[in-house]
Amino acid sequence: MTGAGAAAGPGPAAASVAAAGAGIASPPGPTGPTVLEVRDLSVRFRPRGRDEVRAVSGLSYSVPAGRTVAIIGESGSGKTASSRAIMGLLPRSAQVSGSVTLSGTELIGLSPRSLRRYRGQDVAMIFQDPARSLNPTMKVGPQIAEAVRAHQKVSRAAARERAIELFQLVRLSAPAQRYNEYPHQLSGGMRQRVMIAMALSCSPKLLIADEATTALDVTTQARIMRLLTELQEQLGMAILMISHDLGLAACYADEVVVMYAGRTVERAPVRELFRNVRMPYTSALLGAVPRLDRAAHTPLPVVQGRPPDLSADLAGCPFAPRCPRAGEKCADRQPPFAEHKPGHWYACWYPLPDGPDAADGSDGPDREGQR
Amino acid sequence: MTVQSTNRTTTANPEAALEPPPGTRPGFQGPGLLRSSLLRLAVRRLLTAIPVVWGVTFLGFTVLNLLPGDAAQALLGADATPQEVAKLSRQLHLDQPFFTRYWNWLTGALSGHLGSSLGSGQQVTTILAQRLPVTFELLLFAFVISLLIAIPVATFAARKPGGIFDSITTFIALVGLSIAPYILALLLILLFAVNLSWFPALGWTPISGGLGSNLRSLTLPALSLGFPIGCFYTRLLRADVLEQLEEDYVTTAHAKGLAGWRVLMRHATPNSLFGLITVVALNVGTLLGGTVIVEQIFGLPGIGEELFQAIQTRDFPVVEGIVVVFAVLVVVIGLLADLLYAVLDPRIRYDNPGQ
Amino acid sequence: MTIPVSNEAAAAAITAAGASRVRASRARGRLRQSLALYLPAGLLVLIIAACFLYPLVGNVSPPVGGSVLNAGLPAGTPGFPLGTDASGNDIFSRLLYGGRVSLEVGAATQIIGIVLGGLIGMIAGYSRGILAAVLMRVLDVLIAFPSLVLALAIAEGLGPGELHVIWALSFYSVPAFARLARAATLRLRDQNFMLAASMSGTPRWRIVLFHLAPNLLPQQLTFALLGAGVAIIQEGALSFLSLGVPPPGASWGNMIASGMQTMSVRPSLVLLPCLALLITVAALNLMGDALRARWSAR
Repeated sequence: MTGAGAAAGPGPAAASVAAAGAGIASPPGPTGPTVLEVRDLSVRFRPRGRDEVRAVSGLSYSVPAGRTVAIIGESGSGKTASSRAIMGLLPRSAQVSGSVTLSGTELIGLSPRSLRRYRGQDVAMIFQDPARSLNPTMKVGPQIAEAVRAHQKVSRAAARERAIELFQLVRLSAPAQRYNEYPHQLSGGMRQRVMIAMALSCSPKLLIADEATTALDVTTQARIMRLLTELQEQLGMAILMISHDLGLAACYADEVVVMYAGRTVERAPVRELFRNVRMPYTSALLGAVPRLDRAAHTPLPVVQGRPPDLSADLAGCPFAPRCPRAGEKCADRQPPFAEHKPGHWYACWYPLPDGPDAADGSDGPDREGQR
Repeated sequence: MTVQSTNRTTTANPEAALEPPPGTRPGFQGPGLLRSSLLRLAVRRLLTAIPVVWGVTFLGFTVLNLLPGDAAQALLGADATPQEVAKLSRQLHLDQPFFTRYWNWLTGALSGHLGSSLGSGQQVTTILAQRLPVTFELLLFAFVISLLIAIPVATFAARKPGGIFDSITTFIALVGLSIAPYILALLLILLFAVNLSWFPALGWTPISGGLGSNLRSLTLPALSLGFPIGCFYTRLLRADVLEQLEEDYVTTAHAKGLAGWRVLMRHATPNSLFGLITVVALNVGTLLGGTVIVEQIFGLPGIGEELFQAIQTRDFPVVEGIVVVFAVLVVVIGLLADLLYAVLDPRIRYDNPGQ
Repeated sequence: MTIPVSNEAAAAAITAAGASRVRASRARGRLRQSLALYLPAGLLVLIIAACFLYPLVGNVSPPVGGSVLNAGLPAGTPGFPLGTDASGNDIFSRLLYGGRVSLEVGAATQIIGIVLGGLIGMIAGYSRGILAAVLMRVLDVLIAFPSLVLALAIAEGLGPGELHVIWALSFYSVPAFARLARAATLRLRDQNFMLAASMSGTPRWRIVLFHLAPNLLPQQLTFALLGAGVAIIQEGALSFLSLGVPPPGASWGNMIASGMQTMSVRPSLVLLPCLALLITVAALNLMGDALRARWSAR
């Protein structure tokens, strides 16, 4: 971090970004029934002959219907593992504990067969690289029809009709012709639309978008995100957005959950997060977003060091070795992840003070976080 | 408001950017283009194969001529007089220089005449025509057996890698591919023909004698050839399927809620078969080599048996003819494999940019 | 705040007992990998020792020159642990001496293959221009040529005998290794360490011998194990067709051939050499496979 003013820096800029996106994200108001409730989710991998890796520890959040929750983190933060855990798509070497309820039904511990009934039907997922996520030797239409027929007993013709209908829903041009095309004949944006169509085939309550736009160029990304938002309004589904891009979360999410080294470090509604960021890690992420109001060629602030090794036992806060505000407590005791302010959770011994209104920037480690 | 390229879109019609520029619309190009691109592929491969086939015939001729031992001598036996041997040599043109003989053979072969057997005088083409069907049927049968073993076992084993079925079949496959065809042939004869009398140990019944007996007479030989190579294919296919299961599209298939077996059979295994096609084409030579002894053991009147005899009697034309047949077979099967790839893999078939 | 844990096994993994279970499974994995390699290797060593060493120290009857008076003795007869064949030769001894032939042929063909074939392949892969093109065509022809015909013709032409078998079979192993070496060379050719070597002025022959060859060696050794199995089978085939070691010399192949005549009455004459071939080749294949798994995991 670049200095005293840095703590106040990200505030106004990010807030303005959030404000600009406010027209796109869902308006604040009473939230719908909770679709997904994750409580204390932990995922451990035990690959053959190697050490156990704690990919996710104690993750908790909830997603109401019609709302979008973004899980933000860098590579290795455990965000993908947690989403796979929800879908039950982890390899056999993975051990999952905790609770994941989908509209009241507990998913952890379900037999694979029962879980399969929910997959694709109540909760669906779209992935990062649509080029590799579609079977290259199968036409795209039948791949959608297959998804339909996996959960509903309909004829092939009916499934085909539904697939074409879905293509229209995702605004794919010439839907009837697209049915008979192969993935490599489509552009990246079109392929991702196909993936979305596949995910929506059974009108799921929850859509998980795992880095769904990372592989696309910015224009296409904007279009796809807009499509998702419109579909969300139309179908009233909950969206869980997994990304490393805070800017994306600012525009499209209602609540942001920040993960680091497998743990949640901050969680707040999007506006609140950007105005009053607490966790130094989140602040660093915000600082790394390139901004138009900075002078050209300003180097992006970079946090030194690397994320910790997840196979080792971690005492204390995982971000401590890299944190500019780290103090004595940080290395020994893990700060509790608690709701310090209504709706705003974080885990930090020396959190940042309030947003742009605060006069002083980062203080020394002796001061506790101010309210 | 025209859309020239994906770069120049207006906000009023953003969806139009998804449309590819006019004239380059991807999609089904129609059968005409498909046929011509396949044809071009076939022609290209044929052209590269021809020098190889020629090289093979030349090498064969050279090797045969370098062999000590006189064909005429071998034909007439040890107590023939030198004059008789010389006369026969002249009759069979064996006294002409090497390149003359090769040139004669080559020109004859290109016009369809492969010469006649030095021993029986029969046309080589006749001999081949008589014996090829037997070997062909044997090879086909063996091939079917190998696939019947490989595909189900590999698919099933890939469901639970490291599980009981997988461990057992991996071990059996490793031992199985260590068994030489002729060893397996003898063991099978001992077991089935001698002790159990289920299958005949010798002889071949043509289809004219009834399809049932025809197949029965080929069962043990086909098993001897097909089982070891089937084990080999099993191991390869299993590894390939496991690789496919790591791919992203398989994750998507699971995410759709498809049952595990359907993901395997409809997505993973079909995409693994491509690798198998290549391996099958490469192993044609091995299969052909195996026929020589297997046909000997079972007394099948096929090409392999003929080859062995012809080499012993220095019957050049016959050996050369068989060498050509083998080489052409290998090349043709390689070509077929490439074509099959092109037909089955839509990425090669519809070779146009998707943007 | 209570932690709802629905997966008890996961909870157990967190405890110390769980940690030791992790260690145990890791050790089991390594054990399985080692077993897969050392068991067949041990078996192979046993076979080699039996064939080459045991006749020197043990009390083994000679494999040839048996008296017809001793023909057809059953197993267990004193002096002839596995009985005798139609000519009165001790079967056990013939198995051992036949094994010598097979192992020698296997080793020799692979060594010739690695040295000659590897060299040709490396040159074909490393050189550019006409030399490479010519070598490539020649290799293609050699590989397309039905190797069996070649082996048969050569064996037929040279006459029976172990040395001739080795020559004949080398005509198959050399192109096989050459193809392998060429493919590997093509892959390695543009790697940084190769470019560095050539840029530092190392003469080409040194690059090939001291930089390229050592990197090819592991793959070639694995291939050699598998190839030895193939060569042993082919030697058996040639001997079976009376083109290999001539009788009365012992070879598993000609034992099978002569045993075939009396297969229905004395199956052991055929079964025993068949089993010997099967076990030896299987050991080679298992070992080669384990090595390949171990080296590709790195």
